[in-house]
Amino acid sequence: MVEKGFVCSLTGVRVQNFYDEGKINVLTEIQLWAIFNGTIVTLEIAIVAIIFGAIFGVVVALGRLSKNKVANALSWFYIWFFRGTPLLLQLFIIYYAIPIIYLDATGITFEINPMICAFVAFSLNATAYLAEIIRAAIESIDGGQMEAAKALGMSYRQAMTKIIIPQTYKRLVAPLGNELIMLLKDTSLVSTIALFDLLRTTKTMASATGSWIYYIYAAAIYLFLTTIIQVVFDMMEKKLGIYER
Amino acid sequence: MSMVKLVNVRKSFGDLEVLKGVNLEVQQGEVVCIIGASGSGKSTMLRCLNQLERISDGEIYIEDELSDKRANNKDLMKIDAAKVQSLCTDLGMVFQNFNLFPHLTVIDNVTIAPLIVKKTDKKIAETRALDLLSMVGLSQKKDEYPSRLSGGQQQRVAIARALAMDPKIMMFDEPTSALDPELVGEVLATMRQLAEKGMTMLIVTHEIGFAREVADRVIFMDAGVICEEGTPEEVLLNPKEERTKSFLNKIL
Ligand SMILES: Nc1ncnc2c1ncn2[C@@H]1O[C@H](COP(=O)(O)OP(=O)(O)O)[C@@H](O)[C@H]1O
Ligand SMILES: [Mg+2]
Repeated sequence: MVEKGFVCSLTGVRVQNFYDEGKINVLTEIQLWAIFNGTIVTLEIAIVAIIFGAIFGVVVALGRLSKNKVANALSWFYIWFFRGTPLLLQLFIIYYAIPIIYLDATGITFEINPMICAFVAFSLNATAYLAEIIRAAIESIDGGQMEAAKALGMSYRQAMTKIIIPQTYKRLVAPLGNELIMLLKDTSLVSTIALFDLLRTTKTMASATGSWIYYIYAAAIYLFLTTIIQVVFDMMEKKLGIYER
Repeated sequence: MSMVKLVNVRKSFGDLEVLKGVNLEVQQGEVVCIIGASGSGKSTMLRCLNQLERISDGEIYIEDELSDKRANNKDLMKIDAAKVQSLCTDLGMVFQNFNLFPHLTVIDNVTIAPLIVKKTDKKIAETRALDLLSMVGLSQKKDEYPSRLSGGQQQRVAIARALAMDPKIMMFDEPTSALDPELVGEVLATMRQLAEKGMTMLIVTHEIGFAREVADRVIFMDAGVICEEGTPEEVLLNPKEERTKSFLNKIL
């Protein structure tokens, strides 16, 4: 109580008002659960996207590095499209446009699950960004590594999976962490497709009650999550670099 | 028995012709040292042998079997890739910059190719790797990462790694050029040991003293051709060609 009074005194008159009305005191259990669920939605989308993005990112990166013209052109086009258009637009295409296209083509309506849409859109988008990161990491490995692998009789695939790609792990940790943080923040875009992520949940509470404190809660949770990501990824980077003296 | 044979081998990078008709045959157990100025095509010749580069013209035989035949960059024989691969794994290669795999420990560097290329049993591969590491004097370093070894030690691991594939011919491309002078000796000693065991060896080197001592034959390359060849005495002590003389004068 003393603490809250102190915080309020910093912001003056309006706060005095909230304090009096008791809005600032504690979250109700319902609000708490709503915020918790919003946080889960946010986390789920970011984590699903980073996992699929990393897996498919390797595939698209290998396509970019491939001598095969078709694979190269396809992956170039993929990256060009998903990095060159807003994520929000990609989300709209998947959530709003695809059901309409499907309806026009087949005459059948279908319910599209917004959470699945979010998973798909964020994964596709993360794939494009991570593909470029992974390609750069692969290209940064000394060419002598591939030659030594080939001279030992390894195929291109064996050399890539056993020699080249494992050496990129350490170099990928930091950019992967960055991407996860970006994704986490970008999940707020899903409020446009009927999902209640962390930001939308808190914003709704703020408008309903007229209290700004919910924004502080949101900021605190975002910061808490991004700090954890930072710490965990820093630790992973140290661990993976064990062979570098 | 002929271990490798190049017949009229030419290699161009775009407009730049680097090998201009090389003929060379190496017999089993022979140690051949290749000398020549930088840019004369020594590395390219070795890299063509194990097909890290594809020749433009000519023929390559490994153990009397044709491994590549081309004319004007056209593959004339279309030899089965698996066949080419098995012929090329008879050639071990040691690089100037070692090219050890930094993410693998010393023993894993040595076992990885037998494990994934030859599908050797893990126990057998490890026993063999330990033998090879003790041969190069590094069995106590088996669990270290390459970054913790000196250049000379790294190069010796690279030799063990190449030997683990049981090559019939070992190729060395300036194996001591990247080493501090005090570390050259240990690598040369390992190579000498291999030569004594009867390994067929093709060695690009600037270590003239070493070449005199271990080579059965010395080849002087200049501008993409073999300019002079013969015993170490012939080529290194009494060269006939002016170009060989002037090269030797420069480096001695
Ligand atoms: N991949 C390549 N692309 C273009 N030129 C190359 C390539 N590899 C080698 N060369 C050129 O071929 C010539 C011979 O090179 P190299 O065989 O490495 O000579 P050496 O080993 O005798 O010093 C050099 O002029 C070099 O620049
Ligand atoms: Mg060279």
